[in-house]
Amino acid sequence: MNILALRAVYLVNFLNDFGEMTRFLRNRFWSGLVLAALGLSGARLNAATFTASLDRDTVALGESATLSLTFEGGQPQNAPTPDVPGLQIVSAGNSQNFSIINGQMSSTVTITYNVTPRKTGEFVIPALAANIGGQQLQSQPLKLTVTQPNAPPAQAVNSGSEVAFMKLTLPKDKVYVGEMLAARLDIYLRDDVQNFGNFQFTAQPADGFIIGKTAEVSKQQVQIGDHIYTDIILSVALTAAKSGPVSIGPFTASAVVVLPSPNRQRDPFFGRFGDPFGMFGGGEQKPVTFATDTLNVESLPLPVGAPANFNGAIGDFTMTVTTGPTNVAVGDPITVRVQISGRGALDTLTLPDQPAWRDFKTYPPTQNLKFTDSLGLEGVKTFEQIVTPQNTDVHELPAFSFSYFNPETGAYRTLAEPPVQLAVHSGGTTPAPVMAAAKTANSQNPPPPQDILPIKDRLGTLAQAGPPLLTRPVFLAVQGLPVLAWLAAFVWRKRADNLANNPRLRRQRRVAGLIESGLDDLRRFTAENNSDEFFATLFRLLQEQLGERLDCSASSITEAVIDERLVRLSMPETTLAGLRELFQLCNQARYAPLRTSGELAAVIPKFEKAVRALQEVKA
Amino acid sequence: MKIYLPILLAIAAVGIFTGSVRAADASAEFNTANKLYAEGKFPEAAGAYEKILQSGEVSPALYFNYGNAEFKSGNLGRAIAAYRRAAQLAPRDAEVQANLDFARNQVQGPVLRETLWPRLARRLDVLTLNEWTGFTAVTLWLMFSLLAARQIRPALKAALGGLTRVVVAATILCCACLGVKAAVHFSKPIAVVVAPNAIARSGPFDEAQNAFTGHDGAELAVLDQKNDWWEVTDGSGRIGWLPQKEVEILPGD
Repeated sequence: MNILALRAVYLVNFLNDFGEMTRFLRNRFWSGLVLAALGLSGARLNAATFTASLDRDTVALGESATLSLTFEGGQPQNAPTPDVPGLQIVSAGNSQNFSIINGQMSSTVTITYNVTPRKTGEFVIPALAANIGGQQLQSQPLKLTVTQPNAPPAQAVNSGSEVAFMKLTLPKDKVYVGEMLAARLDIYLRDDVQNFGNFQFTAQPADGFIIGKTAEVSKQQVQIGDHIYTDIILSVALTAAKSGPVSIGPFTASAVVVLPSPNRQRDPFFGRFGDPFGMFGGGEQKPVTFATDTLNVESLPLPVGAPANFNGAIGDFTMTVTTGPTNVAVGDPITVRVQISGRGALDTLTLPDQPAWRDFKTYPPTQNLKFTDSLGLEGVKTFEQIVTPQNTDVHELPAFSFSYFNPETGAYRTLAEPPVQLAVHSGGTTPAPVMAAAKTANSQNPPPPQDILPIKDRLGTLAQAGPPLLTRPVFLAVQGLPVLAWLAAFVWRKRADNLANNPRLRRQRRVAGLIESGLDDLRRFTAENNSDEFFATLFRLLQEQLGERLDCSASSITEAVIDERLVRLSMPETTLAGLRELFQLCNQARYAPLRTSGELAAVIPKFEKAVRALQEVKA
Repeated sequence: MKIYLPILLAIAAVGIFTGSVRAADASAEFNTANKLYAEGKFPEAAGAYEKILQSGEVSPALYFNYGNAEFKSGNLGRAIAAYRRAAQLAPRDAEVQANLDFARNQVQGPVLRETLWPRLARRLDVLTLNEWTGFTAVTLWLMFSLLAARQIRPALKAALGGLTRVVVAATILCCACLGVKAAVHFSKPIAVVVAPNAIARSGPFDEAQNAFTGHDGAELAVLDQKNDWWEVTDGSGRIGWLPQKEVEILPGD
């Protein structure tokens, strides 16, 4: 049974290596399972205890200690969380073990914390209370001493016993207030360091300095003692913020280095056969801490005798100024572009006031800063200042000056640009500077215009403001007229062509016209009681109409065609009878021409009826 | 006909007289505004020019001088809008174009990129939209007259053949140019910012988030309109809504 319990312990220990999920299972399920197994086996539990311990009682600032809370004989119902000002205490996980020795079962739960001090001094982790199986237990207080980190002694460095160390140097031991300088930080790594990572500063104390950007400058190999070190050179931008004694450091940092694994040398297997496949890792990871010395510097105040327009610029600068346009009207803007380049506190650099510009209205300048190095110590700052002349008495823009203090020479210096000649006109009378000249044949590259062209003297032709022609309905309707005219001409042409190409149609229309005019003649002859002409015309009209319908000569038409051809056209009998009657009337009139107007008038409707019937016949 | 002719002549005479009186008044006001400008009273001059414009009478010189007065008064956006209107009336006036270009160079922020159609339309700026319309109308009349004459007198077909082909080609070309010009004029309006710093918002209401800032004189392409808000995009492709009071909307050509 004891063997069974030991197997359970191994199983639980195996599970301890898993993550959060297995930890949950371990705490909730496997513990119960093991305890149940132990209960069945009759094992007895020991009395509960609670202890707290630190892996060391003294650490340097930047290093970490490990705090372990150990609970034996049961699980804590509420694990205490230590909280000490000045110490950052972060959970690093927990583990659980069960063991049975001579029938005595023991259960151990260990909760570990990483303790990272934030400052030097003596710290006390107070007594912590925990409840285990209904018992209220308390740990003993723990003392932790945090010391100031120190750079490794020169002897250790030279002997090559230091795997990695860091060194801070300043270019000078006297600075001026406001001066910017670059501190050099060397990180040395011994030649057996296979890899280096997770480098981070843990403290960058500075008294009287403002720390700016940090940038890697270069790497080099150096020999220190019997070892070759890789020297990683960093630069740190510093600005002296106050006068008097100032200091910087010690900078502390932590990192992880990879060293050759000592186990591989001692392992009988790898020692004999080596690791031909490189499958078992490249080395041993080792956390390292870095610390530099504290550097003390004398910060000097700026000397007296600053120029009147000195506004705090410290460094070494050059300046260029451009001004334009120079031919302006009163109130017109003139752009003064000041470019200051060099090394110094460009960030805080501002344009000095120019008291001599009293005849100009000035506007707040715009500024644009471009650094040319990674630390922000060198660059170009460009200001654009708009000024406007206030009267026509202004003939020049007075000299622009800029003063700065050069910490290298320890003296003030003033940069000045000479006055710029201006031509200032009253408003509205600015001559046309460009347009007329731009049109000359010889001017290949006309200068850019300095101002707008003057107003026009003549109003020109006035027009009523309104929508474009294209959107006016009347205009659009008028544009339809030529289209309609062309369409009409087209249709007319088509009809004319059709008529010209169709003789029957042409005859049909001619006969229709003859009938129309013939009817008028018949009515006139009726009114005149002219029987001869009436029936002669009637006969001729009948011939023309029948000839057109039967497509034969009109002169060949007699009454006989009614029975010979019209009957075959399936004409109604009434129509045929009407036609016969009309032919017979015409024949009778030759022998008995005298008729009254009433009788003649009665013939006309019959004729009209017969003609309509004939015109309906399909020819 | 004998009765109507005198009436028509009388109406024409009254119209001509009224027009000439109006023109004389506008000319006097124009001279007064010019005098104010010469005295350096630019805002007053701008007001005087604007008063003439509000009467409904326009001319390129009037818009040009109004633009100058607004420019000198520091109203860059209104100056650019006026120059653009002057350029629409007188596209061949080099002075208008020079002042418009000069004013545009003073504007901060990204410049509106011209798309294909506005670029094509710019090449057609030798004529105004109305001139293109009139020119196209003339070619249309000429073309259909020739075609109708050929229908009426087929014998003229041979004689008019060459001329007809030239006129038809000219008509098609004019119609295409007018189409491009009209498309840009009507479908690609431009919003000119006339406020010092107009905040374009992400939606057409005052509480919407800021999308970007349009500086005075910035020319923005109009995308949409909702109530008194215009959706615009600037030269860098940012989109936002500007209230009516902060922009002047102009045709695209």
